[in-house]
Amino acid sequence: MIITWAAGLIRRRSGRLAATALGIALAVALAAALGSFLTASKSTMTARAARSVAVDWQVEVQAGTDPATVLRSVRTSPGVRTALPVGFARTSGFQARAGGSVQSTGPGTALGMPDGYSSAFPQEIRQLTGTPAGVELAQQTAANLHAAPGDTVTITLPGAPETRVKVDGVVDLPQADSLFQKVGAPPQSQPTAPPDNVILLPAAAFSRLTGAAGATAVTTQIHVARNARLPSDPAAAYTAVTGAAHNLEVRSAGGALVGDNIGAALGAAREDALYAQILFLFLGAPGVTLAALLTAAVAGSGADRRRGEQALLRTRGLAPRKVGTLAVIEALLIGTAGGLLGLGLAAVAGRAAFGTASFGATATSAALWSGTAFALGLAVALLVVLVPAIRDLRAATVAQARRSVGRRDRSPLWMRYGLDIVMLAGSLLVFRASSGNNYALVLAPEGVASISVSYWAFLGPGLLWLGSALVLWRLTAFALRHGRGLLTRLARPLTGTLAGTAAAGINRRRRPLARSVVLFALALSFAASTATFNATYRQQAEADAQLTNGADVTVTEPPGAATGPEGASALAAVSGVHHVEPIQHRFAYVGSDLQDLYGVRPTSVGSVTALQDAYFAGDTAHDLMAALKARPDSLLVSAETVRDFQLAPGDLINLRLPYARTGALRTVPFHFAGVVKEFPTAPKDSFLVANAAYVAKSTGSAAVGAFLVDTGGTHQKQVGDRLRSQLGTTATVTDITRTRNAVGSSLTSVDLSGLTRIELFFAVLLAAGAGGIVLVLGLAERRRTFAITTVLGAGRRQVRGLMLSEAAVTAAGGLLGGALIGWALSQMLVKVLTGVFDPPPSAVAVPWAYLALTGGVALAAIASAALGSARSFSRPAVEELREL
Amino acid sequence: MTSADVLVDARDAARTYGRGPTAVVAVHGATFQVRAGDRTAVVGPSGSGKSTLLHLLAGLERPSGGRVSWPGLDTPSAESAPIHQIGVVFQGPSLIPALDVVENTALPLVLAGVPEGQAQRRAQASLHDLGIAGLARRLPEELSGGQAQRVAIARVLTQSPRLVLADEPSGHLDRATADHVIDVLISAVDMLGAALVVTTHDHAVARRLAIRREMHEGRLIAPHGTQGPQS
Ligand SMILES: Nc1ncnc2c1ncn2[C@@H]1O[C@H](COP(=O)(O)OP(=O)(O)OP(=O)(O)O)[C@@H](O)[C@H]1O
Ligand SMILES: [Mg+2]
Repeated sequence: MIITWAAGLIRRRSGRLAATALGIALAVALAAALGSFLTASKSTMTARAARSVAVDWQVEVQAGTDPATVLRSVRTSPGVRTALPVGFARTSGFQARAGGSVQSTGPGTALGMPDGYSSAFPQEIRQLTGTPAGVELAQQTAANLHAAPGDTVTITLPGAPETRVKVDGVVDLPQADSLFQKVGAPPQSQPTAPPDNVILLPAAAFSRLTGAAGATAVTTQIHVARNARLPSDPAAAYTAVTGAAHNLEVRSAGGALVGDNIGAALGAAREDALYAQILFLFLGAPGVTLAALLTAAVAGSGADRRRGEQALLRTRGLAPRKVGTLAVIEALLIGTAGGLLGLGLAAVAGRAAFGTASFGATATSAALWSGTAFALGLAVALLVVLVPAIRDLRAATVAQARRSVGRRDRSPLWMRYGLDIVMLAGSLLVFRASSGNNYALVLAPEGVASISVSYWAFLGPGLLWLGSALVLWRLTAFALRHGRGLLTRLARPLTGTLAGTAAAGINRRRRPLARSVVLFALALSFAASTATFNATYRQQAEADAQLTNGADVTVTEPPGAATGPEGASALAAVSGVHHVEPIQHRFAYVGSDLQDLYGVRPTSVGSVTALQDAYFAGDTAHDLMAALKARPDSLLVSAETVRDFQLAPGDLINLRLPYARTGALRTVPFHFAGVVKEFPTAPKDSFLVANAAYVAKSTGSAAVGAFLVDTGGTHQKQVGDRLRSQLGTTATVTDITRTRNAVGSSLTSVDLSGLTRIELFFAVLLAAGAGGIVLVLGLAERRRTFAITTVLGAGRRQVRGLMLSEAAVTAAGGLLGGALIGWALSQMLVKVLTGVFDPPPSAVAVPWAYLALTGGVALAAIASAALGSARSFSRPAVEELREL
Repeated sequence: MTSADVLVDARDAARTYGRGPTAVVAVHGATFQVRAGDRTAVVGPSGSGKSTLLHLLAGLERPSGGRVSWPGLDTPSAESAPIHQIGVVFQGPSLIPALDVVENTALPLVLAGVPEGQAQRRAQASLHDLGIAGLARRLPEELSGGQAQRVAIARVLTQSPRLVLADEPSGHLDRATADHVIDVLISAVDMLGAALVVTTHDHAVARRLAIRREMHEGRLIAPHGTQGPQS
């Protein structure tokens, strides 16, 4: 009996079953794809975080403890691969004789490096010139002392005689910040910058140097490289690593403090992972919801027929329980087919987007996600098939079951209670609360192992999406009910003399029509808001990289270099360079506060680097540059400085700047013109922006700090390489592609583009499905109506006109509603997810091309659905009439 | 009698569904004529091919053997049926659920290109003639089976066809309602001055019509009983 039923089902209702299974497949594929992507990107984040640190732990031996004891204890700790002791000594200064003059520096640090350090921690020291593992000067120190390999440097330790050493090489310390951290101190009391003057000595030379000094001046750190396997989830990895660090501290009984570099990196990564998870939910959940709604609509369009069959079965004496069992079988059939298809689709999508079917996730996690997605598909199938079936079983007769046509239809419950309005109001309230100043989507309190997300912020966009969809439903139903005259006029071009009849039919079918309009609008708005979010994210990531690097390629002059703006012409001659813009970099005293000062050419700086309005406060970038030009002594300062000095527009600000010839500080008057928050190449804290010509005139030097090179947005790396080989060591060349990888949080670098590709792909499918499939099935459901019309004398063109007029209502309502909802949702999403953007965007970026594509595909789906339905009357109309 | 009086002329018209061993011959070569003013009943048990025959006469189905022609009606071409001059009352429900009674009744005229206002006025008049003007603004789902059948008859009346084909017009109705529907049908046809063919399995219904033909397993049996008014 059951097999007969299933076979019959497959044979007779194959179209609808396939469409329902397809809807489930979409939901399953989306969930599986996004889930696998999420796990894969999380483990990438962990791996990147672990790779990014040069030294996993810096264990500082506390005063009064024997370094050898700590070293032994560290070496026997689990998960430790290498542990080497490094000595730190504070010096009162260095001196060197170069040419005829003596150069000396302020206080600095001498490090005692053990043998094999650079092979154990290869990322810590980068050899610039000379031979490694000898006496090495840090680059900045070498520049300050005008010293090169072979020169002699004098080191002075407090309370000890001077020591002279011969320099073997010059090195760069890329991770100086963490190398010179104050171990055990909270982040806010860390030094803002590493010491300017650093010398690296072999361990033996270091102990000769420090032997005479008091023991207090020397501290020892044990540098540790770990090899314990990390859990792939950043949060779990963080917990594991910090746990091990605490364990080590506890065992040393206060003799050692752990500077947990890898823990800090993982801590940042777990925050990013959480953001990725939020994005996954924010962007993925609506997609899955939509696919489920689509499935329900598809299944629902066959409800009348199924009701008839059920009634028949019951009149033949089949017990309701048995009828229920048959519905379960149908649901399982659809769920299984859809689930398998969906997993296949996910694998194909993974291949297309990432080159692997598993999205780069491990086999176990891919299997786990596949299983979860499959179960989700089954649940959706049961929900859309079984629930209505049970509801119908409860209804005493078939006639009692709801009808899709009605005049005196009572509005649905939600409409009568104004649920849509309530949802919109709720959305606004949540949004107001969650976009306030003190609100953070991800809370990662320092020193606390757990991290929390205020998931209720999701309610804002979620309620907006659903609430506005319901409002659209209400409006569509209202318009179709009361706008019959207008409908008739609109239907005229498609249906000719039948326009009034077409309008009457549409008017009575406003419920199912409103439902497809809403479904279509939901799909379109999902596509629109996801795409807009992604485009905005990309725009800001690019802006961030530009902000840090300055431009496509940036040539930074060494401190004290005297190259003037004329140096630009040599750079402009390099192939691939479109334009070169010089930027001055000086230090200026504002009161007693030393700040970076950038001198720009206001008319042309905007041509090499994007000056976003968000970088400034109160005025647009364009207006402020115009102000700098109109009044050369204008000055842009940070908001903090405005507050500290109580500045009002036009106020006089006296800066003290070094005068070129004498090197002495000179007072230069400026006028406060505006507030700058960020500027290309500028640091994150306070700085100043002024007119380059005025700075040059008042300091007697036009020396340039950096040249910003515009390559037209392409081939940045190649142009950078060319410049690098031309300039050698006279200047530092950085290009945006490298910066992009270096500055971005692990979130930026994991790159939303994978997520984007999956989502945008599914969004188009969903939009086309919502537009096309629902219409096809709705029309197929009414084959009988069209058959009657045909036997009453309707021509093909007339039937086609009737179908097209319904399609037009769906398309017009859906496009209009979808555009509006999509716009509102994008605005809110971008605001709620502001934390993801760096810098925060001043305007959303609208991906017109993709939107046009989605709209076009969806419209094509609708049009071909209508035309295809009109053509697909394979059987003569009278045969259609024989079926009851 | 001229050949122009023959509204529909079926010669050896046959209809087979499907092919091969599972083919069903619904109508074996039927020869059948309807003249202006004829009142004919086709009586037969369920499955005997009555509906199929009617569809052949209406030109809604093409014969798989023999031919059907409409010499007395104006056909747009020799091949196609004069669909606007033949009114059909179908066996099953045949009203469009999304249109109300007037709109349903006016539909054939509208489809034929008559302006909607005019078509609806004529529909109202037919409803009035059949005594169901009060149902005008109801939707099909708000009608009883008998009422729906009367609306279907009104729809045929509005069309002013010269030939009315009714397939089991009283099929699912109780005796009294069935009688009433047949009354309505006959008076409507009288009003139009059209010819009428009714199929039925009910001999009581058949007796009300002048000509009776029996059908059995797809074959029309030689006429018997009254041969109708001879001229
Ligand atoms: N589309 C079809 N395909 C196959 N067989 C068909 C089809 N339509 C009708 N038949 C068969 O043709 C035969 C005649 O059917 P028809 O509907 O003409 O009978 P009927 O006399 O009108 O019966 P009833 O009184 O039940 O309406 C039946 O055996 C039926 O099963
Ligand atoms: Mg029949």
